[in-house]
Amino acid sequence: MTREAPMASSPSPGPLRALLKAKKEIAIHTLKSVQGESKLKVAFVSISAVLLLLGIYGGARLAFGMLEIFGSELLGNAQLSLGDLVMARLLSTFALTLFVLLTFSNVLIAYATLYRSREMPFLVQSPIPTSTLFLGRFYECVSFSSWATAFLGGPIMLAYGLEAGAPWLFYPALIAFYIPFVVMPAALGSIVTLFAVRHVDRLRHRWMPLGVLAVAIGIGLFRSFRSRFETPDLSDPASIQTILDLLSTSQNPLLPSQWLSQGVLAAATGAHGDALFAFLLLAANACLLLWLATLAADLWFTPGWSALMAADQQKPPSEAKGLLTRLERLLKPLPEPARSLTIKDLRLFWREPSQWSQFLLFFGIMAVYFANLDPHRQVVASLDPRTWQAWGTILNLSASMLILASLTTRFIYPLISLEGRRVWILGLSPVTMRQIVRQKFWLSVVTTSFFTVGLTVLSAFKLDLNPVAFSLSVCAVIATTLALSGLAVGLGSLYPNFQEDNPSRIVSGMGGTLNFLLSLIYVVLVTAGLAVVLLWHDLEAHLGSERFPWVLGAVLLWILALTVAACRIPLRLGLRHLEEIEL
Amino acid sequence: MIETRGLTKRFGDKLAVDRLNLSIAEGEFFCFLGPNGAGKTTTIKMLTGLIQPTAGSARVGPYDVGEQPVEAKKLLGYIPDHPFLYDKLTGREFMAFVAGLYQVPKERYEALCEPLLETFELSAVANQLTENFSHGMRQKLSFASCFLHEPKVVVVDEPWVGLDPKNIRSVKTYLRRRTQEDGLTILMSTHTLSIAEEVADRIGIIHRGKLLHVGTVGEIKSLAREPGSLEDVFLELTRQAEDEAALSAAGVSPVGVG
Repeated sequence: MTREAPMASSPSPGPLRALLKAKKEIAIHTLKSVQGESKLKVAFVSISAVLLLLGIYGGARLAFGMLEIFGSELLGNAQLSLGDLVMARLLSTFALTLFVLLTFSNVLIAYATLYRSREMPFLVQSPIPTSTLFLGRFYECVSFSSWATAFLGGPIMLAYGLEAGAPWLFYPALIAFYIPFVVMPAALGSIVTLFAVRHVDRLRHRWMPLGVLAVAIGIGLFRSFRSRFETPDLSDPASIQTILDLLSTSQNPLLPSQWLSQGVLAAATGAHGDALFAFLLLAANACLLLWLATLAADLWFTPGWSALMAADQQKPPSEAKGLLTRLERLLKPLPEPARSLTIKDLRLFWREPSQWSQFLLFFGIMAVYFANLDPHRQVVASLDPRTWQAWGTILNLSASMLILASLTTRFIYPLISLEGRRVWILGLSPVTMRQIVRQKFWLSVVTTSFFTVGLTVLSAFKLDLNPVAFSLSVCAVIATTLALSGLAVGLGSLYPNFQEDNPSRIVSGMGGTLNFLLSLIYVVLVTAGLAVVLLWHDLEAHLGSERFPWVLGAVLLWILALTVAACRIPLRLGLRHLEEIEL
Repeated sequence: MIETRGLTKRFGDKLAVDRLNLSIAEGEFFCFLGPNGAGKTTTIKMLTGLIQPTAGSARVGPYDVGEQPVEAKKLLGYIPDHPFLYDKLTGREFMAFVAGLYQVPKERYEALCEPLLETFELSAVANQLTENFSHGMRQKLSFASCFLHEPKVVVVDEPWVGLDPKNIRSVKTYLRRRTQEDGLTILMSTHTLSIAEEVADRIGIIHRGKLLHVGTVGEIKSLAREPGSLEDVFLELTRQAEDEAALSAAGVSPVGVG
């Protein structure tokens, strides 16, 4: 029987300061290491990031402006805009969604950071009180989970502030609101993880992320099931009240998302007292949750950690059992060495639940959404049903492709780097680099197309697509799978990082960022081509219906050319680089 | 300085360490020998607080590792076989970080850091990022940082991986000198029997989680039926234990020998 944790200890500032200082130095060295990267790569990534921020800002500014004008006309009252009515609800809905997503992602991040990070054995054997150790790692959980939201949400809030003519205090207030707001889901996520690792034996390994996924899908199903009965017709002015009612569910005064939105709106209108109250409410609750999380760490971390380490020492499951073994049997017809390499990659992937659970989470949520599609649902009564169907297809395809882009970046791009310091084993074995690169490429194509093609077929059936649109959708998604796999394997070979064992760190380098940006560009270009064919019934009046075969041919050629370029060029460059480097 | 009482660790059905009773005095150099999977590293992990025992207790100095882990760890230095270093820190930054973790006073840190880097021949490379270090250099930095907080007990798990003969000699001499001059207690787990024979005050042989024999090199050697090196004796003793376990599993009582 495992013993209980030692008595709770108060955090010690000395070790915490040392830990944070070390992290700061690591960040500085990491930033400096950019100097060693290719100038072209750095320039491309920097310019793309700036363009992305400008694009988000421009889009948000346009949307907020339209909401103001459109709202005034629709309501027939120049003094009152739809923006005034909707903004509070929109903001609280957005904040609530963010809060829920951050809580889920923090469960996984806390598991990886507190229990699976390479530095943890070193830190656990150091004389640091558990609460201090937790706080040091908690800081990383918050940073990992919230930087992307800050990066993408920053320009949106800037656009809102400028559009609403907010005073200067609004902008620093945004940062002040954001910090306690992201601390809360991080603390909640940490408490869930600490509890699960300590108490739920069966969830300790691969079943914990599966549990998270099941809960997420359950919530998704429940929400989509409910909303099916409440969809209003947007062309009817009376529907505005229905929308406002729907959105108001996120305005419960007990929700942190509501405190955030109230605070932001108050800061935007210069109501400093209300803004300060909202900030204090957020800060007080963030402190409370952080304190509770520290208590949970004191109680549960050490026995949970010990049990997890012990679980790692236990005998692996029998070879005859398990999904992985069954999958491996299916690979028997593959020739060697591709078979051995594939089995090795699949085993490494399977034995790291924090990796594949993200994969399942993304596609699981998409599957729930697609399964709830209704081709006969009319959001706007006056809209041509074919237009609704076409836009549904375009949005679904682009969503699948974007998820694929993020997943190939997250999982496929690091595959070559993950050969890591052991790459000499492959280098010395009678396996050519061409064989290795080819194996990674096909592994990516086969595994991801299982999900992407499945989702596309599901979406096409649910939207009742005609044979041309159906075939085009499937072809486009297969092409995208080939292209994004080629891009990820190619760039992963061109910019390998053999020093790093952590895939998320490999991806966060410049090469990973470049891969994601190029994947996004590919998706946008392919979607633009698809849109021309899928929206043909709207365009044929201008372009002439007899031109459809030519347009279809041109679009197919366009997608083919993009795919060949995205696949062949990086693979060729990457292979050449791998063959030239000294292992 | 190190004391375990009925220390036991069970991994599911497997008994990794079985009621281990061990006492290591201050200033003693104790070598822990045993075949792979014998329970050496598990014992070390329990002593360093990395895992909790299933039963029993371990003390470092006056502190129970389970009850007062922070105090016990302050007395302890641990050098694993594959040391962890932050790749994006320089050698000196890593030393400063460890000093911060162990709350070494600034003056003490300044007085100790450079001599330790000098001792382990790292001064010239200490401003480089550790990602550029060879395995041997990483191991030496792990040694240097381990002694920064002036531990009373050092636990070393197979420390010779990656070190060249010259470094093995200097590390060996350094450890021996610290036990003799400063009263440092060392528990070293190793497979390099010739080194154990050379440096150990006492040796403990562990097999299948049980401590088979404890004694000085001479005492351990005297257990063998024929005189030989420590390696020969070790192989003979562990083989005997294997045979006894096999007989026991088959339900046959071992016949006394020698």
